[in-house]
Amino acid sequence: MNLAELLDRTNVDALDHLERQATIPVVDGLQAQGDLIVIPMAMLTTVTPDSWAHWQAVAAGGVELVRGVAGNNPHTLVADPDTCWWIGSVHDPLGLAIVMFENIAPVYLVHPEHGGSGVAPGRWLVRRQQERGPHRRRVLIAD
Amino acid sequence: MSARQRRESRRLPVPPDPARAVPLWARAVELRTEWLNHALCCAPADRDTAENAITALYALLDRPRPRFVWVPSPAAAVRLVPPTPPARVTDELWRVEKQLATLVSRLRDRLDHAIHDHWYRYAAHFPPPPDPVLALRSGADLRSVVTRGVHDVLRAVVRESVAGLVRAAIPEERLGLWWGGQHDVDWVAHYDVHRRVLDARFDAADAEQWQLWAALVRSCGWWWPRGDVCVVVERPLAIRTEPVAGSAYGEVRLHNPTGPAVVFPDGWSVHAWHGTRVPAWVVESPTVELIAAERNVEVRRCAIERVGWAAFIDQAGLTLVGRADDPGNPGCELRLYDLPYARWGAPTRLLLAVNGSVERDGTRRRYGLLVPPWFDDPVDAAGWSYGLTGVQYAQLRRRT
Repeated sequence: MNLAELLDRTNVDALDHLERQATIPVVDGLQAQGDLIVIPMAMLTTVTPDSWAHWQAVAAGGVELVRGVAGNNPHTLVADPDTCWWIGSVHDPLGLAIVMFENIAPVYLVHPEHGGSGVAPGRWLVRRQQERGPHRRRVLIAD
Repeated sequence: MSARQRRESRRLPVPPDPARAVPLWARAVELRTEWLNHALCCAPADRDTAENAITALYALLDRPRPRFVWVPSPAAAVRLVPPTPPARVTDELWRVEKQLATLVSRLRDRLDHAIHDHWYRYAAHFPPPPDPVLALRSGADLRSVVTRGVHDVLRAVVRESVAGLVRAAIPEERLGLWWGGQHDVDWVAHYDVHRRVLDARFDAADAEQWQLWAALVRSCGWWWPRGDVCVVVERPLAIRTEPVAGSAYGEVRLHNPTGPAVVFPDGWSVHAWHGTRVPAWVVESPTVELIAAERNVEVRRCAIERVGWAAFIDQAGLTLVGRADDPGNPGCELRLYDLPYARWGAPTRLLLAVNGSVERDGTRRRYGLLVPPWFDDPVDAAGWSYGLTGVQYAQLRRRT
């Protein structure tokens, strides 16, 4: 669902949610939210869904993508019913992929601290951020 | 009747005029302050009140008064509480807490029904209006503002911030079913403001059971009911908080720049830096060596903030390699520093980035990210952190 509808369903007042709709831009391209990044699939040629995985519709409560170490800062993907499908088993040679999703209407990534990010229709990969670890290894960012 | 009309008709009558809503909101704020004080209270537990309330809850389950074991901290309680058996095992030990969970969940369902309030959970992803009084003056629904300004705020401050950080400091992965005592304040206060400010009416038996949970908020810390034993934790000796700057809801977060933010009577403590849980060294003895060895980027950020970024860059012997505009983050700059080999163990560079979103106090957090040493261009290094090339990363449209 888009934010306006989500807020309408939840009885929050119009004044409030119209403002929110206006302040969260829907971006058709590369965008980052904290330690996550949303990448157009067209930019990636080596990332594919695992052969056994299947697409699932994004449920009304959204899909929680990553939760911070403290446990209270989840990044959540929210979408209208029947507008967005996601797949959690993705083959990413770099091991950074979290989900791939495809949407036919704008969807939103929501985070308590970073706010909202609107994503235009398309096929997208959400990746985590990495950094250089000890012994020249890579580690995923834990925030 | 359409779904929307049904929803509308279920709504409680609310004052139609903002002139009435504003003083009612002020009353709700008073009650929130009162409940928040209970949640942050550091006086010794009122053992009689707590034991009587738990005994009365046991009585609602047709059980005799349990034997009470008082412990000085949640960590001490976890050592005493028997491990939770797998869910399919239904022995006696396991059942009290299950029955109690059912009891309170049904109570809350009935109270929610009485205040026609099943929706707030869905609204929780979004912050309340930045200025509640302004929102009410422009005709916002008082119930919505009260719920988000009392329940949601207490949940964020007490359950998620204070209790969440204390929970995170306990190494055990599973604690079984437990209740928060003073930290169960969010839902207890929620029904209280609906009753006292918005004239909600509750069934007498429900109101009576609510009183028991309210008594626990006013009298003790976390508690674990297990069979005929109930382990109850004392309240902390000290809680250090700071106001969340820019909050119109009196929010606070755990913070103590020189010592522990929460201390329990046995000395068990939790350290926090502006609301983020950190190891003790971060506030008590931060050094460049410890920062270099820290794996968690948030902890590292807090430790560097504790030292001060300018002092850290100086002490750590960092040399600037390059700077560039941060794509998608207008007005902010990426900086790439070379780290001295001797101190950081392997050839590594540090990318200094500024957060895309502004904190509520108007500042932006700065992050230091370790990157491989072969990057000279900060944009290439930032791209690498997401598995992209610098050219790809330069196409970033927005960062929050």
